[in-house]
Amino acid sequence: MRFLTPFLAVLWLASLAGAADSSVVDFNREVRPILSDRCFGCHGPDGDKGRKAGLRLDEFTGATKELKSGDRAIVPGDVTKSAMVNRIHSQDDDEIMPPPELHRPLSAAEKDILTRWVKQGANYAPHWAFVSPQASTLPKVTNVAWPKDPLDFFILAQATKVGLAPSAPADRTTLLRRASMALTGLPPTLAEVDAFLADPAPDAYEKRVDALLGSPRYGEHLAVNWLDLARFADTWGYTGDKEMFAWPWRDWVLKSFNDNKPYNQFLTEQLAGDLLPNATQDQRVATAFNRLHRMTFEGGSIAEEFRQDGINDRVSTAGYSFMGLTLECSRCHDHKYDPISQKDYYAVAAMFGDQNENGLLSFHGEVPPPFVRLFKSDEERTKEKQLQAALLAAEKALGAIPLPAAVVTAVTCPAPVVYLPLDAFTKTGTDNAVAEGKPAKFERRGAADDLQLTPGVKGQGVKFDGDAGFILPDFRQLGRFDAFTFSAFLRFSEKNTRATILHSTGFYTGDGDATGVELLVTQGKLRWSFIHLWPNSAVSIETKAEVALNQWQRVTATYDGSSKAAGLHLYIDGQEVPFTVVRDTLNAKPRDNALEIGSRSRDAGFRNGSMDEIQLWRQALTAAEVAALHGLDPVNLSPAIQQAHQQLRHNSAYIAAWANLQKARRDLAAHQETAQPFFAMEHSALAPKSYVLTRGEYDKPDLSKPCEPGVPSRVFAWSNELPRNRLGLTQWLTDPQHPLTSRVMVNRLWAQVFGTGLVASSENLGLQGDLPSHPELLDTLAVDFVRSQWNTKAMLKRLVLSATFRQASTPTSLGREKDPGNKYLARGPVLRLTAEMVRDQALQASGKLVEKIGGASVNENALRRSLYTYRRRTAPPDNMLIFDAGSREVCQPKRLNTNTPLQALVLLNNPGFVEAAKQLAARVSKEATDPKQQITLAFRHVCTRLPRPNELTALSELYTLQKANPPPSTLAPLAPPATVDPKAKRVASAPAKAAAIPADPALAALTQVCSTILASDAAVTSR
Amino acid sequence: MSLPLPSYDGLMQQTRRHFLGASALGLGALAMRSLIGEAHAAPLPKGTHFPAKAKRVIYLFQAGGPSQFETLDPKPLLKERNMQPLPDSVRQGQRLTGMSGYQATLPLAGAFTNFKKYGKSGVEYSDLLRHTGEVADDLCVIRSMHTEAINHDPAITFFCTGNQVAGRPSMGAWASYGLGSMNENLPAFIVLVSQDASKDQPLYSRLWGAGFLPSEHQGVQFRAGKEPVLYLTNPEGVSPHTRRNMLDTLGKLNADQRATELDPEVDARLAQAEMAYRMQTSVPEVADLSKETAATLAMYGESVKSPGSFAANCLQARRLIEKGVRFVQLFHQGWDQHGGLPGGITRQCQQTDQASAALVKDLKQRGLLEDTLVIWGGEFGRTAYSQGKITKDNYGRDHHPRCFSLWMAGGGVKGGQTYGQTDEFGYNIVKDPVHVHDLHATMQHLLGVDHERQTFKFQGRYYRLTDVAGKVVKAVIA
Repeated sequence: MRFLTPFLAVLWLASLAGAADSSVVDFNREVRPILSDRCFGCHGPDGDKGRKAGLRLDEFTGATKELKSGDRAIVPGDVTKSAMVNRIHSQDDDEIMPPPELHRPLSAAEKDILTRWVKQGANYAPHWAFVSPQASTLPKVTNVAWPKDPLDFFILAQATKVGLAPSAPADRTTLLRRASMALTGLPPTLAEVDAFLADPAPDAYEKRVDALLGSPRYGEHLAVNWLDLARFADTWGYTGDKEMFAWPWRDWVLKSFNDNKPYNQFLTEQLAGDLLPNATQDQRVATAFNRLHRMTFEGGSIAEEFRQDGINDRVSTAGYSFMGLTLECSRCHDHKYDPISQKDYYAVAAMFGDQNENGLLSFHGEVPPPFVRLFKSDEERTKEKQLQAALLAAEKALGAIPLPAAVVTAVTCPAPVVYLPLDAFTKTGTDNAVAEGKPAKFERRGAADDLQLTPGVKGQGVKFDGDAGFILPDFRQLGRFDAFTFSAFLRFSEKNTRATILHSTGFYTGDGDATGVELLVTQGKLRWSFIHLWPNSAVSIETKAEVALNQWQRVTATYDGSSKAAGLHLYIDGQEVPFTVVRDTLNAKPRDNALEIGSRSRDAGFRNGSMDEIQLWRQALTAAEVAALHGLDPVNLSPAIQQAHQQLRHNSAYIAAWANLQKARRDLAAHQETAQPFFAMEHSALAPKSYVLTRGEYDKPDLSKPCEPGVPSRVFAWSNELPRNRLGLTQWLTDPQHPLTSRVMVNRLWAQVFGTGLVASSENLGLQGDLPSHPELLDTLAVDFVRSQWNTKAMLKRLVLSATFRQASTPTSLGREKDPGNKYLARGPVLRLTAEMVRDQALQASGKLVEKIGGASVNENALRRSLYTYRRRTAPPDNMLIFDAGSREVCQPKRLNTNTPLQALVLLNNPGFVEAAKQLAARVSKEATDPKQQITLAFRHVCTRLPRPNELTALSELYTLQKANPPPSTLAPLAPPATVDPKAKRVASAPAKAAAIPADPALAALTQVCSTILASDAAVTSR
Repeated sequence: MSLPLPSYDGLMQQTRRHFLGASALGLGALAMRSLIGEAHAAPLPKGTHFPAKAKRVIYLFQAGGPSQFETLDPKPLLKERNMQPLPDSVRQGQRLTGMSGYQATLPLAGAFTNFKKYGKSGVEYSDLLRHTGEVADDLCVIRSMHTEAINHDPAITFFCTGNQVAGRPSMGAWASYGLGSMNENLPAFIVLVSQDASKDQPLYSRLWGAGFLPSEHQGVQFRAGKEPVLYLTNPEGVSPHTRRNMLDTLGKLNADQRATELDPEVDARLAQAEMAYRMQTSVPEVADLSKETAATLAMYGESVKSPGSFAANCLQARRLIEKGVRFVQLFHQGWDQHGGLPGGITRQCQQTDQASAALVKDLKQRGLLEDTLVIWGGEFGRTAYSQGKITKDNYGRDHHPRCFSLWMAGGGVKGGQTYGQTDEFGYNIVKDPVHVHDLHATMQHLLGVDHERQTFKFQGRYYRLTDVAGKVVKAVIA
């Protein structure tokens, strides 16, 4: 043990003795926040390299064991022998804990807490949020008349404890605005206000609340926070920022909230809808929650790097949204605070990376597979089933045709449609190349001297340098149902790790983009593929053996147009070679590109390889024909090859049945392609295996640490009964005993209504999160929520019907002093409206709000609610950003509320707001004739309540002043506002033109009055 | 408990209202800033941990990745070995992008430019940077910069925010948050994007975003033309006088609201509206370059007369920092020369060389250079070998994160020197590497900020611009 200098030791012991406070320390409330914040970074659960001196302070055993130094950090009950207590009181910079470099020294009070805790036996308790919530009995209150809901007992008891009394009820108009804002994001209309004020029924308010919960605007409002969490947008983000077709998922969210889908189901469908038995189209759409992360197509990007980033985004988003945990902290090392090891992280990642997918977006912006087809009706879905049945029947019919006797005497190979002798070439073609009966068009890639003639099998051949090659511009339209054969003599002079021999895939920006036929050499083996988008939608085979080097050999590759791997064959010198199937999942058509030979832009070409006598067919040669092409005697062919040839070329029944099968395939595909593809999750056995990535780096998988699916089981155990996949994960999460799921959602709903959650850090209930302000209440509500079958609307109804919610929000001076942040809720909540609410309110007040539920995202000019505004991730709508909305690039659990000058500029000058003021002025000038009445109406349309006398006077004075000083008469009449095209790519695009004020003096004055109202505090708050 | 450290949740929860309630004026942004800044430093200026050498920063960001070989890092060996393959021993199997990674050969490309020694210090600059050479004795060229990302979007995001992950605060946002504004009428962080640049790679608003910091710290983009700041201009028919009347009325409404609701945040909103009003005057004033002398305009070059050009933006930057703007960041795109590099980089330097040098001279002659830090550079460098075919007079270079160059001047930087060294192929660093985090740490140090202590707690973690790394490069400091 290291000793303090006796003098100092005496000093702090003396100070200890002086500390009169000997009350019992609460570990969870008082001790753990200190330990977590100051100590766990070096002495916490991160056991890999992160733990200093072999000491962990997050558990009793570790904290009290003898360390290598011989010290014990904590000797329960004995402060003088506890090294930790000594070290925190040390005056020596080399000794003191936490070390000065942390820059977060302990205060005297904190030292005192830790010291008393050790003295009292250093009792640990599990972190509150990792223990299943238990309902509490209602606390005793004296004012028993006040509560309207059990939750009020908890609020009242706590407030009383800190010396606060509840406030009087808010007036009815204020309450109605508050409830409307909380539940629908829009203020009540004047008709709604008047009806409510005129309704004397005792349950008038409850009826209004029911109506609000039943309004489709409810789902539109509740969705906004969910869209923030799910980083929903209309573009992919990153360079180029292509459009992302995602809004059907947004509509699913809207509908789910409006239908009051139980939260456990809401969670399950989004995380694992594809794994549900007989998953519906909608359930598969729901899983797009996991696919909304950004994707790049930037040239040169490495697919695996971005695949791992995408998986991390899924894990981290699910962590914040459903668990209230910062899972992604464990991507590079064990979590510094929470019991989540790096292995746990990759075990979760294994479930979210269970896709047969590519990490990159296609350069051409195709929907990145896996995807679900969006059929518009049940009829269309039924038709798909019928066509699938017809396809099965056609397959069966073909299989039922008996085999002929295997007697082939002569086989004639059909003539190729393209023949390239490669004996000489000019800039535009070869001397005698033929394509489909005409001289072949032929374009060179690279400089004139890049391709070299070399002695070939017949005359000359061509030697490739790896960068240059040639293109057949007219040889296009190789569809997935079109048969094709390539044959040529090839000579390999090195074991190519990667070389392109032939392709119809355009240029190469990584595997994510190659679409068409492709014959490659990879690691010395031939790979023959037909691809829509790799690796999800492709058929591909690879030879088992490596190709022979330094000799001419005829390589023939055939594809029968079946869309199946079984339709791909590879032959060397007329004989089929053994191969393995790499992919057999082709499910959509490729893009159309010209055929290219020997090279591909940005890919490795046929370096140091030679070719001669290239021939192409728009049909699949039979094995017998391939043999014949190479001059092999058909008599020696195997019976199976002979039989297959007989069937395909001489059996009319078989030929007809094959044609019928191909038609069934085309019909099914044609019908499927009428439905838009929509990205979704789709569990696949072909997904790459998950490993712990050393320091989280994509290219450093620790092969000794494979990760099977798993969960952070120290938070909550994963029953062995549950499947080890995302569905099992949802069953784990929705277990009624799960300590986080219900708390996280109830807390979020609380924040929706009251502005701040019972746990302020609603995205983090872990050790570094905030402690709940009302722990028993949170737990009781969580238990109630589960018992109610996860009924979201019922929970919100309770919250807004509570006495707590119905209080006036104006603080007493005592309230302001004791509880400036309204943590104890002895008054009603005050909310600054969000970006969406501010704009939607202006639109509604102007009378021009277009209420239409769902559909594609729109320009602001469409005057729809703001959640439908097109969101470009790299250039989000300015007025939204200015009002604290995020860019939707990553999960955003909550927003800050700020006050900035730019907000004032938006409210007063943004063309949309100016237009709203004009329309509101026009509206009220029709609704009333007296200016005071007009102003009163305008105020009520925006702020709901009547203007107070001072307010009315001020606005009337403005009106009079402005009417007397009209704007110049040269102004343009009312015109639709110009706004920035939301699809505009550049953030530096020209700003929108400011809208003009009407020329009529009265209307102009009224417009300015309306504009002022829209910018006022009463407008931008719900009180 | 000790004073609360600044955190997202703290701001969300209570302190802002509490603080505003306690402050006499309740000037929202300023009040909040002092809450944050004064948490742990008493006698020093707000937010600083030790005396600052620089009060402000002008960052001339060259987006796309300028080639170091044709500008700041001469490599005669590449000329000698022009078109010969890059030795494997140099590449050491390091990753390449997918754009040149499959090339059959990686031919070395000697720069088409010549280098010359400038100033008393004799630091070499290419003949594309003649004007920059004239201020050589004020500049510190770092030749050993390195970064982590190899593609534009992650790399520029990393450079501007200290992290490849989207959603982190940008350099300027940190400066605004930590040090606050020195001006009541202008935002603390202003961004200028060149209109004369070739827009080969896009920019994103996240590069100047506030991330999880309060949105008042996000960079405000100044645009060329009549409305330098979005929504600054009153609608047609609303004169400044009318706007004044409206604001006066707004003041009355909010005063009544304040008296009724007893909520100090009402004052904060009104104060922001008043600042917006002041900005309506101050911004057009600061954006008006017409009062600049002919001599000054001539120094920045002919293109200073095209609104929004890099040259005009340099001059604009000087005017902004004169008014007390804390951080001005220019973005000039067009440096992504995968092919056609000689032509491309010549054009880029023509657009930027003279004005960059003029900015340094102009600041110096006004006595502003000593406490204004100027930095010129991009998000990564370029390869020693040619991407695609190299010919006698044409070649391209792919992205190269392993080494690149930039320069710094003023604000406590020791001029007239180079720092760090790359190997003779310009492929790897052989001496004094400077990581992006190190540059950030150094920049913050010059601003008087300990990069390890300026933190913000978000989602349970203490974040800083330099993440968990960064060392101050002492040698570049005077």
